[in-house]
Amino acid sequence: MSALVEADAPSEIDDRVRAAVAAVPDPEYPDVSIVDLGLLESLTVTETADGVVASVGLIPTFSGCPALDMIAGDVRESVERLDVVDRCDVTWLAGPVWESTRLTGAARTRLADDYTVVLRRKDSSLLCPVCGSDAVIDQAMVGPTRCRSVAWCPSCRNPVEVMR
Amino acid sequence: METLATIDRQAHGRRWADLDEFQAFIDGGGMVEPGDDMPQEYRDEVFRFIEFHANSELMGGLTERDWIPHAPGLRLKQIFLAKTQDEIGHAHLLYMVAADMGVKTRTEMLEQLFDGRSRFHNVFHYQAVTWADQVAIAFLVDAAAFASQRAVFAECTYGPYKRVLKRIVAEEGFHMRHGEEMLLRLATGTPTQHEMFQEALTRWWWPAVQLFGPDSPPGDADPLIRWKIKSERNENLRQAYVQKYVPLLHGYGFEIPDPDLSQDADGKWQPGEIDWEPLKATMRQGGPDSKRRIATAAANWADTAWVREALELAR
Repeated sequence: MSALVEADAPSEIDDRVRAAVAAVPDPEYPDVSIVDLGLLESLTVTETADGVVASVGLIPTFSGCPALDMIAGDVRESVERLDVVDRCDVTWLAGPVWESTRLTGAARTRLADDYTVVLRRKDSSLLCPVCGSDAVIDQAMVGPTRCRSVAWCPSCRNPVEVMR
Repeated sequence: METLATIDRQAHGRRWADLDEFQAFIDGGGMVEPGDDMPQEYRDEVFRFIEFHANSELMGGLTERDWIPHAPGLRLKQIFLAKTQDEIGHAHLLYMVAADMGVKTRTEMLEQLFDGRSRFHNVFHYQAVTWADQVAIAFLVDAAAFASQRAVFAECTYGPYKRVLKRIVAEEGFHMRHGEEMLLRLATGTPTQHEMFQEALTRWWWPAVQLFGPDSPPGDADPLIRWKIKSERNENLRQAYVQKYVPLLHGYGFEIPDPDLSQDADGKWQPGEIDWEPLKATMRQGGPDSKRRIATAAANWADTAWVREALELAR
């Protein structure tokens, strides 16, 4: 194992660990990576007496999110599958607080196009992901999940969900 | 690029000369949007289907809620809290889509439901007696509901419903994982836990298998299949379900409460003959727990009248 570590430059291992974390989808959006959702906050790989340990720091979109254990387990499993890592520790960090601005462009597009879920624009208005109307009106402060509220587009008559 | 969200804005207000022309549109992969002048028959069928789905999400959510205080441990309470929010949220979205179809208002749908004049899934007409029942619901019943929702999503020619289903299916998939985890705990737990789940399985197996409904009429006699709201006949969904869950439950050492369950030469599981009386009874609100469930939901609705009034005043 140690020979392998020496053969790989540290940054190369970091990249592989990062890719393994990025391969984990969000349980509620099965085709969106948790890295694209902005959950990954820190990542370090260190060599210890126990072997190579990857420490992954994640932040939850909302505290009390019921998916945390599942996500942590998926990340651990994905990273520990790498031959260059002996152990992966996953920690949920208390800060920084997650904001919807952490979403990558790829995640925004996916959520809007496939899930009819949008982010509020800078002036707090909403653009309908279905018909492009900007007359979307807020409907309820909470939706099916803690991280989303519900709106309605009177133009195309579709419910729209909003990342809070 | 064509995505699930994109609507063809040229398509608004389309009309079809007759049902044959409409059928050709559906068969050609067409998606119906709210602004279209859809045939009344299609509107009524789709509305009825969405209303039934919305009612089921709401009644299911209320059951999950009942178990929040009884769920063993903080983590499971958190999961049940989130599941409750999910189901009620799904009901909310579905009622929005249904009400927009102009057949009944949202208030009419809710009042008829709480008045015992509306239908919802058979499984929510039974009582969850122990925690193991709740696990059986999460593992068995949610899986059956998930399979049938996925089969609707696969085609689903009504745009707004299909878009909501995309999120519902993703979230129900997440619930399934919780169900598997909870089952694993009981299955690998103490003999008492194993026994508890066996008893729950005996109570819930038949309702879960019946959830898919009696077999659809052959060919395209079922308008829901003809208009591609459903993509699969009830019997095919049930067969696939039985093939998956019988070996899984046997693997954990549980017994399926069906003495006539058999395996054919190809290894395919064949359930014994299904008695449809219990399902029919639930459709008449005559299930074992129908009255209590509907009364509880109606009492909740009455108790929260002040919230609706306050919101109305604030508007």
